[in-house]
Order: sequence, then C-alpha cells, then structure tokens
Amino acid sequence: MAYTLSGRLQSRLAAAQLPLVAACVLCVVLPAWWPLELAGLMLGVGLVLDVVVYDRLLDYQPGSAAVPLGLLELALVMAAVRAFSIGAPLLPALGFFAGSWLVAQALGHAGLPLLRLSYADDGGELGRIGAGLAVVTLTVFGTAGGYAWSQLPPTVHLSAGIHQGPIVITKREHLVGERGAVVRGGIVVRADHVVVRDVATLGGDYGIEVDRARHVVLDGVQVVGAKIDGIHVRQSTVSIDDCRVDSPAGWTQGIDISFSAGMGMSMVHGCTVVGGMQGIVVDSAEADIHENRVSTTSFQAISMTEMSMGMIAENEVAGAVGAGIACVDQSMCMIEDNRVSGTRPDPTSPGLERQGGYGIISDYKAEAELADNELVGNAGRVGVFAGAVVTPAE
Amino acid sequence: MTPTTPSCAIVGSGLGGLVAYTTLRHGGLAPVEIAVFGTDADPAAAFRANAGAIRQRHMRSESDGHCFARTFPGLAVRSALRDRSLRPLVDSVRDRYRPTVDEFLAHVAEARAASGWDASFRPRRVEQVRAVGGGFELDGDGPFAHVLLAPGHAGLAFPPGLDEDPRAVHAYEPHGYADEVAVVGAGMAAATEWLNALAAGARVASVRRREPERRPLNVERRYFTKRGLDGFRRTGREERIALLRGFVAPSYPAGPEWDEPIARATEQGRFRVEPEVNGAAQVICATGFRRGYAADPLLRDLVGGHGLDTAGSWIVLDADSTVPALTDDARTLALAGACAQWAHPGSDTVVGMKHAARGFLRRVMRWRTR
Repeated sequence: MAYTLSGRLQSRLAAAQLPLVAACVLCVVLPAWWPLELAGLMLGVGLVLDVVVYDRLLDYQPGSAAVPLGLLELALVMAAVRAFSIGAPLLPALGFFAGSWLVAQALGHAGLPLLRLSYADDGGELGRIGAGLAVVTLTVFGTAGGYAWSQLPPTVHLSAGIHQGPIVITKREHLVGERGAVVRGGIVVRADHVVVRDVATLGGDYGIEVDRARHVVLDGVQVVGAKIDGIHVRQSTVSIDDCRVDSPAGWTQGIDISFSAGMGMSMVHGCTVVGGMQGIVVDSAEADIHENRVSTTSFQAISMTEMSMGMIAENEVAGAVGAGIACVDQSMCMIEDNRVSGTRPDPTSPGLERQGGYGIISDYKAEAELADNELVGNAGRVGVFAGAVVTPAE
Repeated sequence: MTPTTPSCAIVGSGLGGLVAYTTLRHGGLAPVEIAVFGTDADPAAAFRANAGAIRQRHMRSESDGHCFARTFPGLAVRSALRDRSLRPLVDSVRDRYRPTVDEFLAHVAEARAASGWDASFRPRRVEQVRAVGGGFELDGDGPFAHVLLAPGHAGLAFPPGLDEDPRAVHAYEPHGYADEVAVVGAGMAAATEWLNALAAGARVASVRRREPERRPLNVERRYFTKRGLDGFRRTGREERIALLRGFVAPSYPAGPEWDEPIARATEQGRFRVEPEVNGAAQVICATGFRRGYAADPLLRDLVGGHGLDTAGSWIVLDADSTVPALTDDARTLALAGACAQWAHPGSDTVVGMKHAARGFLRRVMRWRTR
C-alpha cells in the first residue's frame, strides 16, 4: 500500500477507535488510568512516526513491513511509558498493544477496504469519515482529560513563615510549602494519596504522622525537634523522598514505619537523618531504604525488625552505636552496597555481644543477604546471633 | 423506483467492461440500468485466448487483481479459504502471491454470474459514439447519460517487415514451436515464450532492441495508488508523455523460475541473444499490442468527430478517466483499459480498470442523487 500522509493519519485514527473504546471500558472496570494513557501514547507515537518517518521513508509499504514497524512502535511506546512513569503492568500492557496492532492490521487489510471502495486507490484516505474520526478521538481524550483534571486533588500552598499546627489532613490533597514554610507542632495525614512537599515541621510529638493512609508522598520535607519520631508511619504506605530529619537526643527515632505488613512497599530514598536514638526503623512492614545518610544515632542507625521485609541499599551510615544496620527478629533483608563506618559498642550494655559495635548484624532468626557492603572502622564487621543467617556466610 | 431503461452504457465486453459493470452493480445500479455492448458475452474471451496462446500459467497481477468491486477479499484470501492454507496469505503479505490463470478465469466466471452481467449484455460492436442532448448515442442507439468505453487493445502489433513474413506468428496467436525459434521482444510475453520454446526442445534466439527491466509489475507499484498518481498527474504534458513512453519499456518479474531455465539453456547453447531475426525457421513476435487512440477505429472516430484534446498518441483525460470536453453534470464519457493511460499509468491492469470504474461510478451516483 502506498499511503498518502493524510491517508496514514486517517487510517491510524480509524484503527485507534476500538482500542480507545476498550481503554475507556478498562479505565472504568479496573479502575485505573493506564489503559487510556497507554492508548494515547500508542496513538501519539504512531502519529509522530507517520509524519516524521513513515511518510518520508516509505513510498510503498509492503504488507511484510507490518511486523518490524509494529516492533519499532512497541519499543518506542515502552520507552515513552517509562519516560512518563505510566503505571501500566507489563503483561496486560503488552496484551493491549498486541490486540490494538491486530485490530489495525485487520482494519487496514479488510475492514477499511470493505467500508470504502477506493480505500487503497486513495492511499488510505477516508474522506469525511477521516475528519469525523479526528473529532471523535479528540473528544475522547478531551473528555477523559477533563474528567482527570476535575478529579485532581486540591493543592494547598503554605506560605513562608511559621504556622501553628498540628495540621491534620483528612482528605486527598497536595500540601506544598513555599521556601521557609514551617509548621509548628507537626502534620497529621489520615487520607490516601496525600502529597506533602517542601514543608518543614518544628517540635511536636511527631514531626509528620501518617496514620492508616495509602500512597502518601512526603517529598522534600524537613523535620526538626520532634519529641518521639521525626516521621511516624502506622498501617500505611509512604514514599519519602529527599527528606531531612534532625532528632534530639533521648528516646527518639528519625523515621519509623511500623505495622504495615501486607499493605505494600514503602520507600525511603535520599533522606538525611541525624541524631536521635535510632535513624530509620522498619517494624512489621515492607520497605525499600535506599541512598540515605544516617549519622550520629545513639543506637542502631537502620533497623529492620519483627518480620519485616525489604532492601537496605546504597546508604551511608556513620557513628552508630551497637550496630550500624540491623536485621532482626525473623526479618528478611537484602543489604547491599552500603557504607557503614565508625560504629561503636553500646556503653550501656557492656558485655552484650550483639551490641558490640558491628557494622551489620543479623539477629534472632533473621535472614540477611549481604552484597558489596563497605565496612570501615567499626568495632566489629558482621554479627550473627540467635539462629539468624547471613548469606554469604561471614 | 428502479428505472426501466439503461442510463449507463459500457462499450466493450472484456475485463475492463466487467470491472466497470461489477462496480456499478456494487453502487446500486440494477442490470436494467446498464447496457453492455460487445462481441462476446464471455468477458474473459480475449484474455483466455491470449493467455492460452503463450501458455501462461500465472498472472502477473497480485491478490487485488480481481474483478469484484471491493478490494477485500482478494484472490489470496479466497484461495486461502478454498484450499484451507495460509500460504497464499503469507505470499500476499510478501508481495509474492501470483494467482494462476485458471484461478483468475474461474474468478471471472464467478463475477460474471454473480453480477448479472448477461442480463445487461447486448451483442453488438459499437463503431461510433456521438455526444447528443442528454448524453451519448452509440451507433444511433440511446441516448445514454453515462458511457464508459473499454474497447480493449486495438490489435496485435508486429515489428515492421514481419507482418507479411510467412515465418512470423504473433505470440498471442495459436502456435507451436519449430526447432529453431526467434522470439522478438523482451517483455513478459517474450520471456514466457522463451521458456515455452525451450521446454518444447527448441533452440531460441531472443531478438531484442534493449535489455528488459526486471520488476514484478509492468508499472511501478507507487503508481497504483493516490500517492504516486498525484505526482504523475502534476507532470506537464511533455513530461507525462515521456513517462508513459518509459512505462512501455519491456519488463518481466525477477526470479529463479525465469533465470534458471535460461541459464541452463545458455550453457547448452540453446539460448542466445541476437540483434536480428536472421534465418530462424519460426519468428514469434512477442511485441504486444498496437498502441494509441489512432489504432482503434472507435476512438479515432471519437477524437475526430468531437475535436478532443490529445497528447502524443494518448487522449487527454481528467484524473477520474473522464473525457473533459464531453463530461459535465448531466453526462459522463469515461475511458477504461489501455486507452486510459493518460489518467492512470497502469490503466490496462485490473487495478487500473477499477480506478476508472470507481471514478465513473462516482459521476453516475452524483447524477442519480441530484
């Protein structure tokens, strides 16, 4: 077939209609936005290729080109899905793409030639139908986009200066602080899909408390002087990025994610935690502790305990007491590429071996999988206690 | 209500006529609204004779070279369904599918029966077309508001000096093979005759003025759809004449089925290329058909009688294969087949005939719905 540019675009739009309908249905049934986002990306990638590449390079497009061109489009769509962080599960997304491709082939070879007598003669152009297809497509995406926009959570901007807290968030919203915005007395999150960004807290029992909420994002937050925990997470899932927690001395913890087992993975990434008794604690939860800096705690710097599961990787731990990284109480931990230095024995527990200043310990039936950790200047390297295991064995 | 007298006439009862007829029927015209004039009720009669003469077994056309109005399902799909085999579809996707002549002839018979062709057929050779009020008279019969002329080829072309030579036979005439055969020409028919004569045990001299091109279709693929045709139609008069002359350069498809027998025969000294016929016992003229409107009495009279615009040996046509001076809101005169090359370089192929037929149907439907 030798498409005209207009014919390519119109045929592309025609082939996109059935997948668009399917995507809309899936969006309602799942419910999730990824089917429509994926359909939009597929259509967008296809239209761009039509204009920029195919029309210029393919005067005549043999039927046998369908498979290689389909694979090219699949690769570009997958790259775009990653680039735009679309949460499409791989196998269903591949299935959706394959189904759409088959529909396009069936339409191009059979459906459209049946619908329009001169389809091949006209280089794929569909006449008035083509314009109608463009309108329908724009209407679908316009409607979906409008609906999505109407469902966006409100964004509350916190001005610079000190605000008296605690601020309690009970509905989905984005709380965004201007530079210098500080909440005295902490923030409490009790709703799903809340985002707290660029806000500092001062004092309070907890700097930020997340209670029974899923998919909460704490991005660029700073917590200073919380009396118990800097960030206190219970029965929730959170994604904590680029935070800074300064804890006072005493029975305090920087970040504590507890009692969230089975709810999904939480993440702590790129945070700086200073002071307090423990830096980052994961207790009965699943978590990924990645690329954080934890220093000068008066006890363990990073601890995964009570049947927790997760990864502790690429963190920098300095000046902990007792143990730098601890995998405890039947937890399963992958501990990789961390740098642990200057861990000292706990002076309050003289003679207690497990508090002997190890870089890493695995204690009480825990299973720790170690790889490529750098242990420097610690009183001990790796300690294994009470039926725990480390692999490879030390 | 369906009219009871024909408003449309098709002059020519060959493949071009059948394609136009099935297209009009697809557009909703009843057999009684269409008159088909020709000398043989079998639309494949001329093709069958020509293909039989050169013992052609496969078509040069592809899956969409069929006579039904819609492109889909093509011959490959029909063959796949009939034989319960994916092979025709795979070949078609690779542009390698070639229906057999028998398959094509069976398809023509099916299209003839399914379309009601015989109900519209009028056995008469039309010798004159004249524009009159309300359309066109065909030898005084009519008027018909819309007429499509598909007169077919104007006759067999012989090289100068050979038309009276007793040794000479045209490839499209029934013939056997002598021990020493000279085949004049280098196109598809000539290549077929090389293989036929070699298979019959003859020694073959290929007489040619220029080397044949090797391509699957006689016209480049892009000229079969709008993209290529748009460029073709943007050409000026002289440029288009030069292009059309280029399209008649001899060619036949590439492939081992052609090359290997010739290579073997060349090694055995049974095949050679010669510039002249020399003393061959038999001369087969695979030189195609007479070309140009002047070679056809009907078209020559049409041009002379109405002072139509011509360029070289072609009648100047609009993009939809209609004659501009004789086509308006109330009437249509269109050409199909080899004589419509000004509008479509591949007009003598089935796909080219469909192009003319669809343009004709659009005109007719516009007139009917006014």
